[in-house]
Amino acid sequence: MMPLTMAKPGETVVIRRITGRDETRRRLAELGFVVDGAVTVVSEAAGNLILQVKESRVALDKPLACRVQF
Amino acid sequence: MSLTIALAGNPNCGKTTLFNDLTGSAQYVGNWPGVTVEKKEGRLRGHKEVLIQDLPGIYSLSPYTLEEVVARGYLVRQRPDAIINILDGTNIERSLYLTTQLIELGIPVVVAVNMIDLVRKNGDVIDLAKLGQELGCTVLGMSALKGEGGMAVAEEAIRQAAAGKAGEHPHVFTGSAEHALAHIEEPVSDKAGPGSLRWYAIKLFERDEKAAAELGLDAALAAHLEQHIQDCEKELEDDAESIITNQRYAYISRVVERCVRKKAPQYSLSASDKIDRIVTNRIAALPIFVAVMFLVYWVSMGPFGSFLTDWTNDVLGGEWLQGGTAALLEGWGVADWLVGLIADGIMAGVGAVLGFVPQMLVLFLMLSVLEDLGYMARIAFILDRIFRRFGLSGKSFIPMLIGSGCGVPGVMASRTIENDRDRKMTIMTTCFIPCGAKMPIIGLFAGALFGGSSLVALSAYFAGVAAIVLSGILLKKCRAFAGEVAPFVMELPAYHLPSGKNVLHATWERGWSFIKRAGTVILASSVILWFLQGFGFGEAGFGMVEDNNSSLLASVGGAVAFLFAPLGFGDWQSAVATVTGLIAKENVVNTFGVLFHVGGEAAEDDAGLWAAVALHYTQLSAYSFMLFNLLCAPCFAAMGAIRREMNNGRWTAAAIGYMCAFAYGASLAVYQLGGLVTGECGFGPGTLAALAVLAGFVWLLVRPAQTGAVRSQGRLAAAAQ
Repeated sequence: MMPLTMAKPGETVVIRRITGRDETRRRLAELGFVVDGAVTVVSEAAGNLILQVKESRVALDKPLACRVQF
Repeated sequence: MSLTIALAGNPNCGKTTLFNDLTGSAQYVGNWPGVTVEKKEGRLRGHKEVLIQDLPGIYSLSPYTLEEVVARGYLVRQRPDAIINILDGTNIERSLYLTTQLIELGIPVVVAVNMIDLVRKNGDVIDLAKLGQELGCTVLGMSALKGEGGMAVAEEAIRQAAAGKAGEHPHVFTGSAEHALAHIEEPVSDKAGPGSLRWYAIKLFERDEKAAAELGLDAALAAHLEQHIQDCEKELEDDAESIITNQRYAYISRVVERCVRKKAPQYSLSASDKIDRIVTNRIAALPIFVAVMFLVYWVSMGPFGSFLTDWTNDVLGGEWLQGGTAALLEGWGVADWLVGLIADGIMAGVGAVLGFVPQMLVLFLMLSVLEDLGYMARIAFILDRIFRRFGLSGKSFIPMLIGSGCGVPGVMASRTIENDRDRKMTIMTTCFIPCGAKMPIIGLFAGALFGGSSLVALSAYFAGVAAIVLSGILLKKCRAFAGEVAPFVMELPAYHLPSGKNVLHATWERGWSFIKRAGTVILASSVILWFLQGFGFGEAGFGMVEDNNSSLLASVGGAVAFLFAPLGFGDWQSAVATVTGLIAKENVVNTFGVLFHVGGEAAEDDAGLWAAVALHYTQLSAYSFMLFNLLCAPCFAAMGAIRREMNNGRWTAAAIGYMCAFAYGASLAVYQLGGLVTGECGFGPGTLAALAVLAGFVWLLVRPAQTGAVRSQGRLAAAAQ
């Protein structure tokens, strides 16, 4: 498994695992980041990511993006 | 019969637009009790008996963020007669996550699929009737932006509310999760009403403490339920909360598969993405951002903005209002002192503030356009990696941007920051940015003592930014703010052409908070100020005095002036100007005009005033005075905003005290150390104090962080070994 920060812009990956405290995981789940869900990297700037999840764009900073693994 | 209908939906789903559309101008804006989450309610247009309650934008009904707590508390305890759930039609899957939870509450729900026009334009088809069947409630399409279908949704909600019957619960959960939920429902059915039984069962399954407390479960029953939960967790090899989340999404996927037909493939580079590729690009992002900001400030503060301000001040305020009123009152034969009070006191004081309104509205208009366009959220994202270095979040930048117009809406904009620590730090530092009202102070000193150099204004902004950066580093090391900056998660709305209605509404809301203070705080303080400087103990005892030097104001100023002596401006006039600056910062200039007998309405570019000020100050003491007034406690209106947003007296006092202490330290260091170089002041106790302040400051900056909890945990671990 690899953290989301390793995915290239334009690449679509399926989430395998989300690590971290319950609260963070719940927050990510509300935004649509769930195991087996698909995520597409729209753009990347210094490790911070803009992602497409479900039908919306969500910005995540690097530490948080590292918790989402594919 | 009166009905209450609540509006619920995700952030950025068009809820505010629909709310404005449904209620028109009949709105009441306040705060939810005890928290600084905005509460909006209003009467439905054409239906006086129907109250529309806007709920904060939320993604779910879990009790973690302030917004969720507020919305959930309202729905569970007040139980509105119906809920209008607004969905973003272009992002239906995510939006339905909240919908499934709202339906569980047992309150009639009308689902309004917003942006239906966009959905059709994309070539997608949503079978609304089928979706309604699946969910067990009415589903209607609408477009808030175009003002289509909103009323039909409201009327359907009224019908449902009057009928008072919620639909059948959809079968969201399956297998052993449903089995466990049924087991939980059985023993608590007498405690929870039949309507909200499902809601409570799910919350108990998720081990939600608030729900358990609301039902008043005893220990034996709680243990019994825990057994069911653990059995289910063992069987599905997951924790209870994740089981619920996953099954919800699984259910939603099934529903979407049946009801939504998409034309485009799942991922295609939309126009929004293409723009994002450029404006959030790691190399181009900052230059683009700087260019956009330059344009915004050039338009609002540059030639066009100053023209507006000059015209309002000189023609509209000075000639028409002030002059006209004075002439009118004199014509009526009103007593001189009353003419003075109204024309010179109230009109001049309030007028000076209102003079900034046009310029400020232009700035707010441009910022509202950026916001509605979707660029503001990107700014927060771009700047996050920079702000993070000194302990602030990228979201802190938006309050500061607005604060450069006026601190009041600036401080209020800090609401969008979810993390409590980050929000408090933002509130404490936002007012360091020179606001529009501080510009005349800078203009006055730049003109009087620095030959009109634009470097003075630049240095003022630089000082503001430096104060924020240093405060960020410094405060982060205090125990109250210790710890990592909250992780940055933010939904980026798709770019779209700004709607005139939304932009004007946002502009007006911010501008209004500035205008309002002119009518209240400043009106009252203008009267007091006029009295204090016009009356005093003259030769003939107490009464109106001709000479300002014997006014009450002079006595007050003289009493506190010694405090400012180490900063280079220990005369009573400076002290008085600083105090009147608390009413409104631009008052500093007016006060100098009055105190130096320049006569008439003194503007910051008045030659007579420049000469008087140049005689009174040296370059160094002028800069020190300016710096102190820019950084110290903001005006009363902004302090009021800080108090409202902090929602806590001690934090408010801490914030204002911090700003004053920071300003005092900075001015002291500048004046004393600068004076040593220029020979303006010799080496003495003041120099030592300045060196001590500087040393203390450096120590605060470089000392290791106070990590509080982490450190004591470390100690415990060490003790255990």
